[in-house]
Amino acid sequence: MSQRIINSMLALFVACLCIQPLNASESEMLNRIGEQLEQYPVIRAEFIQTKQMLALKRPLVSTGQLTYSRSHGVLWQIHQPYRVSYVLGEEDIVEIDANGVQKVRSVREVPGLAQVGRVFRAMLGANTAALRTYFDVALEGAPDEWKVALVPRQPQLAKALSTIQLEGSQFVDAIVIHETGGDVATIRFKHVQGVSALNASESQLFGVAP
Amino acid sequence: MSGIRLRAYLWLLMMLGVIGMCTLQFYHQSPLQTNLLSLLPATERNPVAEEAVTRLANIAGNRAIFLIGHTSTETAKLAANAFASSLEQSNAFHQVIANIPAIDPKQLVEVYVDHRFHLLTEGDRHLLMNEQTDLDARLQKKLYVPFQFGLTVPIADDPFGFLDNWIGHLPLRSLKLEPEDGMLLVRNIEPHGVSHQSTEKTWVFISAELDGSAYDNIVQNHVVSAVLKAKEALWKTSPEAEILYTGTVFYADDARVNAEREIDFIGIGSLVGMLALLYFVFRSVRPLALGLLSVAFGIGAAVAFTISMYGQIHLITLVFGASLIGEAIDYPIQYFAAHLGAGKDWAPMSGLKRITPGLTIALVTSLLGYSALMFAPFPALSQIGLFALVGLSAAWISVFLLLPALLVKPNTRDPEAAVAKPKLLLTWWKTHMGKRECYVVVIMILAIALPGWLQLTSNDDVRLLIAKPSALVTQEEKIRELTGIGNESQFFLIEGATVDAVLLHEEMLTQRLAPLIQKAEISGYQGISSFLPSLGTQKKNYALWANKVFDDKNALQTTLTHAGLHEEVSEQLINTFETSAKQPLLLEDWLKSPIANTAKNLWLGKTDQGFAAIGLPRNIRNTETMKLLAEKIEGVTFVDKAGSTSQLLQNYRQWGGFWLLGVITLIYLALVVRYRWTQAAVVLTPAVLAIVLTFGMFGHFHIPLSLFHLMALMLVLGVGVNYAIFLREGGAYAAASLSGVLLSAGTTLLSFGLLAFTSMPALSSFGLTLLLGVGIAVLLAPMVMSFEAKHG
Repeated sequence: MSQRIINSMLALFVACLCIQPLNASESEMLNRIGEQLEQYPVIRAEFIQTKQMLALKRPLVSTGQLTYSRSHGVLWQIHQPYRVSYVLGEEDIVEIDANGVQKVRSVREVPGLAQVGRVFRAMLGANTAALRTYFDVALEGAPDEWKVALVPRQPQLAKALSTIQLEGSQFVDAIVIHETGGDVATIRFKHVQGVSALNASESQLFGVAP
Repeated sequence: MSGIRLRAYLWLLMMLGVIGMCTLQFYHQSPLQTNLLSLLPATERNPVAEEAVTRLANIAGNRAIFLIGHTSTETAKLAANAFASSLEQSNAFHQVIANIPAIDPKQLVEVYVDHRFHLLTEGDRHLLMNEQTDLDARLQKKLYVPFQFGLTVPIADDPFGFLDNWIGHLPLRSLKLEPEDGMLLVRNIEPHGVSHQSTEKTWVFISAELDGSAYDNIVQNHVVSAVLKAKEALWKTSPEAEILYTGTVFYADDARVNAEREIDFIGIGSLVGMLALLYFVFRSVRPLALGLLSVAFGIGAAVAFTISMYGQIHLITLVFGASLIGEAIDYPIQYFAAHLGAGKDWAPMSGLKRITPGLTIALVTSLLGYSALMFAPFPALSQIGLFALVGLSAAWISVFLLLPALLVKPNTRDPEAAVAKPKLLLTWWKTHMGKRECYVVVIMILAIALPGWLQLTSNDDVRLLIAKPSALVTQEEKIRELTGIGNESQFFLIEGATVDAVLLHEEMLTQRLAPLIQKAEISGYQGISSFLPSLGTQKKNYALWANKVFDDKNALQTTLTHAGLHEEVSEQLINTFETSAKQPLLLEDWLKSPIANTAKNLWLGKTDQGFAAIGLPRNIRNTETMKLLAEKIEGVTFVDKAGSTSQLLQNYRQWGGFWLLGVITLIYLALVVRYRWTQAAVVLTPAVLAIVLTFGMFGHFHIPLSLFHLMALMLVLGVGVNYAIFLREGGAYAAASLSGVLLSAGTTLLSFGLLAFTSMPALSSFGLTLLLGVGIAVLLAPMVMSFEAKHG
């Protein structure tokens, strides 16, 4: 009788361990991944974004260049199918068309964009602390080849996104975003490099002194 | 003899009646009115505007707002939750909200999606009308724009992003607060004092609804102690957390606590001073007791009468009432002085008869002075006027009914010895101050006063009436700065005969305000037509959709399928467009939708004159601009309660001069009845000179004049003239009369002097003016003796 009780308690205990989203070693690994990326104030990559939308017959593909600056935000330069750049900061989103004409909009004009924008920057910069406040994080793999599954914790975020998957090695290699409406966006990065400063054209687009 | 007894019993009856009434009135429900807003007069000619002011004040009034700040966001959130639960546990609030349900963007879409073909932003309307927008490009942009995962209207419903724009331009976010993790917060960069390093602080917002009126003292006590306990509990766990709070309840509590303290201070100070002075002069306990009884009857009757007339009594009236003690005692003092002066030859009724004319005239002039207050547009001032009228009359009646019965035995003191000192003064005056010397004094006074007159300035700020403690004001300002919560007392009132008329007028207002926002005259505006366009505008929008988007159905289909959308999408779109032709967005549907209450509160509803809504501008730079703008638009008025009140104060102050002259004339006429033309002028002169000199001194000391100073001067007239009257009536008993006058002056000056120290600026101006004015009037009163007509 008592043996059965002990067994069931043990089983419960083990089960609890499994249910836990992140245990000590996972947490450590996540921190190490974060640290790997944190050494670089600026990260550049070529991206190819594929969006599978329910309303579309075929997936949408766009390619371009991404520059992530820890202090200034995200510069998303689309080259195909047409040229346009977006600069995402904490307060504003700036759209720069092919002729260099800028349109500045407040992040508040789209309800929820402030938060999603912050989440996106946190993902690109592998800001593990921020990610952990916004999501339940499930990690597998090793520091040189890892996969992370994120499930939103906050109700506001959960209304827009259902899950996000990140894959990476030294940097983030792919982001897969599942929207609650059923659409899926996959962003793959190539030729990722970490550098210490922005170049001239990037500085100009961010609107800062080089 | 029995006549005297009868009178005394009559008095007793009346006193019992007063006690009974007071007990009844205070037994049921405290009739004390502490609402600061009830001090303000109705300034708006439009009753709907007045109602809107009250409604907005009530909505804001029953809320308390807290901000919990910390440099770490996590700690701030935890601290806020802990603070909110302490507040909840205290049961002082009906509801404490720290965790708000986030504005669900999907719900927002639901409200508008069925009517989307009747909606367009101003910008999009302009672009469509002028063919300046490329549908293809818009579709591309919507498909490829990054970062907006899951945040836009589904592409099948809104391929060109027009509805996205509409929703994005809704003025929902009038506050700077961001929802995060189920809480509302704002991040602020603050300079860090000495080190000049700026730190970012996160502030979490908590809103608490009161469990009753902000003016109920039980609610106030409960709230204040709950907040204190929650603060202490919070600081034990997070000592660096900063707590800010604001709300009508805190101001009301502060005002009430101060008022109660001042009633005690002034009341007890006056009483003690009066008793001490009475004893000093009369060296007997009997006058003290009789004086107390008379004053008690006077104040009691005043309270009972005021409450039965108004249904309640304001704290400000009680504070003033406490200072009335010094004046009410003036009538009994005359009787005591007569008793002192008569010595062995005292007979109660003949003594009474001798002082009756003087006492009556004195009462009449005081009443004339106080009745001037009853014509003031301020409910509080007219209440004070009534209180004083009844109080003084009741004290006067005591002299006639009660005192003779209780002051039957003649005074045992030797009358000459008792009034020795005043007699000295009298002889000094009679020898040194003849007519000529008096004229010299008059000229000197004029010489001092006139330059002062030239330096007079004025101050009509409504803050004279309602003073706010700076500690609370600093917090309120910081909260406004951090959250962007606006000032609820300045807004636009939009009216119309029908619902649609209101929306139409509001649209015109929004249009006219747009350039002002550009020029930073105001920082933003929230109006109902931004959420619900008028039917006319919706029709225009639909026509634009029809002519610019759905005119060529094939071209539309091509654009959509070219971009990759299924064929069904364009079919569905066209179908929905056609069926929604007769389905504009209507008020009833909009009100039922789950849109934020802040937006719904803009709609006031049905009024006697039709329908009304309010519009909220933010950070107004110049209220004149707003007023002028409103005048040009039909159905729109700019309401600025504080401004209107200041304007009213100014108007009345400007008329005050004529008012004062009117009161002077009335009092002069009353005096003429007794003293004839020349002598009446002589009796009135000291009080008039007192007014002249007081004005002059205000000028010299750079005290800005307000309506309240002017009203107080009318009282100076009514009260100050009493001393000249008593001296004139003194006759053979001049010395006793003088001692009575000096004693009266002493008690009156003491009471009004104490009043000058209250925290309510209106009352302290009263007190200061009375102190100065009555003081001067007393000093000049003996002049009547130099101008006595020679009797035959």
